[in-house]
Amino acid sequence: MTGASLFGTIEMVDVFLAMALMIVLASFVSLYRGIEGPGIFNRIIAVNVIGTKTIVLLVLIGFIYERPDFFDIALVYAILNFIMTIAATRY
Amino acid sequence: MSDTTTITNVITVVLLLVGAFFVLAGTIGFVRFPDFYSRMHATGKCDTLGEGLMLVALIVYGGATFVSVKILFLIMFILFANPTSTHAIAKAAYDVGLKPWRKLDDRVEWMNTSDTGNAGNTGNTGNSGEGRSGEDGGDGR
Repeated sequence: MTGASLFGTIEMVDVFLAMALMIVLASFVSLYRGIEGPGIFNRIIAVNVIGTKTIVLLVLIGFIYERPDFFDIALVYAILNFIMTIAATRY
Repeated sequence: MSDTTTITNVITVVLLLVGAFFVLAGTIGFVRFPDFYSRMHATGKCDTLGEGLMLVALIVYGGATFVSVKILFLIMFILFANPTSTHAIAKAAYDVGLKPWRKLDDRVEWMNTSDTGNAGNTGNTGNSGEGRSGEDGGDGR
């Protein structure tokens, strides 16, 4: 998988790095609504959205550094995020 | 072999870009929409589809390995869990008593901040004291 290039000049790792940076940017934009948003429910949605973005970010990091451990972390993080949202909405 | 790798990489990049477009559209909708329910409408679908597409792109890139099975489980879990949590948040907000935003609300507030025009809206004159600046902290939307 290492060094697989697209069109000879751009490597796939660079594409994954760009996607990871985009996800981090989108997470920060969502964090604005989490801080600023009126009411507690906007904050709950913001936490849910950032957590779901973090799952994809973990999988991308696992592909960038070629460490398959990150996929288990992503699975556990997805389950924790879901349980946290359900518990927060049930009070 | 090299042709197959190039085709796989092109499919991966296209799926990643489409997923990134959906994630960015969902984020912009999450910041820009005026109401809690419409923000949830933006995030609940766009994030599920966009992140599913990005993970499908990573499956295409990784090939048929054990790692791809893990990512497939992750996609299945996201497709189950994300609409469920969105529905749970919406139902909790509706039970608490959060009213949905209507298009008339902004118009009535805008008309009441101006000097004329609220003759036909006598039922909503209770809003006349608060301008557009009181929109954020007012009723918790």
